Amino acid sequence: MSAVPVSPAAPVDDGRPKPVPGAARDRRLKLAALRLALLVALLAIWQVASLGAPPFVLPSPMRVWEAWTTLVASPTFWKDLGVTFERIVTGFALAAIFGVVVGLVLGASKTLGEFFEPVLTLITTVSSAIWAIFALIWFGLSNWTTIFVVFMTAMPLILTTVWQGTRTVNADFVELARTFRMSQAQVLTKIYLPTILPLFFSSARLAFGFGARVSLVAETLGASSGVGVRLKQAADLLQTDQVFAWTLTLVALMLALEALVLKPLEARLFRWKKQAEAS
Amino acid sequence: MSVVKVQSVSKWFPRRDGESLHVLQNIDLDVPEKAIVAIVGASGCGKSTLLNIIAGLVTPDRGCVFLNGVKASAFEDWRSLTYMFQEDRLLPWRTATQNVAFGLEAAGVARPERRERVTETLALVGLSGFADAYPHELSGGMRSRVALARSLVTRPQILLMDEPFSKLDPSIRTQMHDEVLRIKELMGMTIVFVTHDVEEAVVLADKVVVLNPRPGRVRETQEIRLPYPRDPLSPDVAEQARLLRRSL
Ligand SMILES: Nc1ncnc2c1ncn2[C@@H]1O[C@H](COP(=O)(O)OP(=O)(O)OP(=O)(O)O)[C@@H](O)[C@H]1O
Ligand SMILES: [Mg+2]
Repeated sequence: MSAVPVSPAAPVDDGRPKPVPGAARDRRLKLAALRLALLVALLAIWQVASLGAPPFVLPSPMRVWEAWTTLVASPTFWKDLGVTFERIVTGFALAAIFGVVVGLVLGASKTLGEFFEPVLTLITTVSSAIWAIFALIWFGLSNWTTIFVVFMTAMPLILTTVWQGTRTVNADFVELARTFRMSQAQVLTKIYLPTILPLFFSSARLAFGFGARVSLVAETLGASSGVGVRLKQAADLLQTDQVFAWTLTLVALMLALEALVLKPLEARLFRWKKQAEAS
Repeated sequence: MSVVKVQSVSKWFPRRDGESLHVLQNIDLDVPEKAIVAIVGASGCGKSTLLNIIAGLVTPDRGCVFLNGVKASAFEDWRSLTYMFQEDRLLPWRTATQNVAFGLEAAGVARPERRERVTETLALVGLSGFADAYPHELSGGMRSRVALARSLVTRPQILLMDEPFSKLDPSIRTQMHDEVLRIKELMGMTIVFVTHDVEEAVVLADKVVVLNPRPGRVRETQEIRLPYPRDPLSPDVAEQARLLRRSL
């Protein structure tokens, strides 16, 4: 059925190195094939479903593809994408800087931490849509409306994680640094930061995803350019194929970001971690 | 002159029930220059606490510590003292090289010199081939060597060692003893070595101090005048160990 060689029931250790890389490649190829099959199946279902519905409800894959090619060729495509991306990245970067610095400070001081805990709860419970409305009142139709909403969504997540993370710092390591007479700043960068980095990384990834999603909502309310605005225009004009084309663009970008930036970065940063034996 | 002098030190730890736990009582200790002094005693008798007090991590409630004749509170040259803890305390996110470099980063040694000294120290403990390995990729013995290298890289004058080899199996432990004696001969530092293993103390030390528990106090001090290297299986070592064990 498959080309995968069947291993003997009781493998004998003949002293030769274990052929791990080949086996891993086989596994990866198999996974890629399965994913491709899934994609084809989804496209087929989409095609069949679109036959029974008018194009403004569910456009066919072909129609979306055509809409997408014209979209990419249009003069404002890259500008809209760039503007939205810039807003997300700015809001996210501010949230990361603020979250890490304040999280470390709150973690280092018990009194400050207890004092500010309710404020954090308050910020987290307010919905992103409400932040968008406030932002519109405060900043009007400007970049800062979207940036603010992304910031308010991403920041509490990062801050809470960093703050919790400071509690997992190994007191023995801090003592070790003390015997070498390290300064407080050195203890923060050489012991605290590496300890919270894995936690920070996973929360930052989540925060970026949330931020990216709410940025579109914020843009439909409080911006005059950007992907959110184009989505709303397309929806108002019942250009469903356009909506699909934008959506697919965003999904593709997120997947590319994950595969080309986050995965390699994670692999590099956390090389030191002991890998649990995968089953 | 004694490099480390502990003078009638007492220590109490607060307990959760409001009482206080008397951990050390009137400890006197004298460590001459370039000597190896071993402190032996049962688990919980305050050996680690005593080392912590010498290292300045814990302040004594009574008495005081002198380093190179200077009262600990006025002592400046703390970087000439290093501490090898009961656990290896290797930072898991750093390679062997980076872990050893940790001690030099605090001292503000420039990068090129740092690299040179780390390489040299790793070679000294026999770990040159594992410079880029992470702690989880090393065996227990290798981890001890990295921790040892980290305590040596700053070229300390005083080395405090708290049961550093207690988790290693006997043959590797004997190897580590040889290493410590060889390196000590080479670098000429003064060592305070804590252990609960009497044989280990006899093999290594010029002087063995026996602590009794609850509260920890000095039961006896024994000079060991056997020539180095000392075979742990020789009758002389066994006899010394037997004498010491009587007072434990
Ligand atoms: N920070 C602390 N707070 C309260 N009690 C402590 C503290 N550190 C140590 N103790 C207590 O002091 C006593 C001596 O502890 P210490 O760690 O010095 O013993 P030890 O001789 O090193 O034992 P072992 O051989 O098991 O390492 C123990 O009863 C311990 O519970
Ligand atoms: Mg101890």
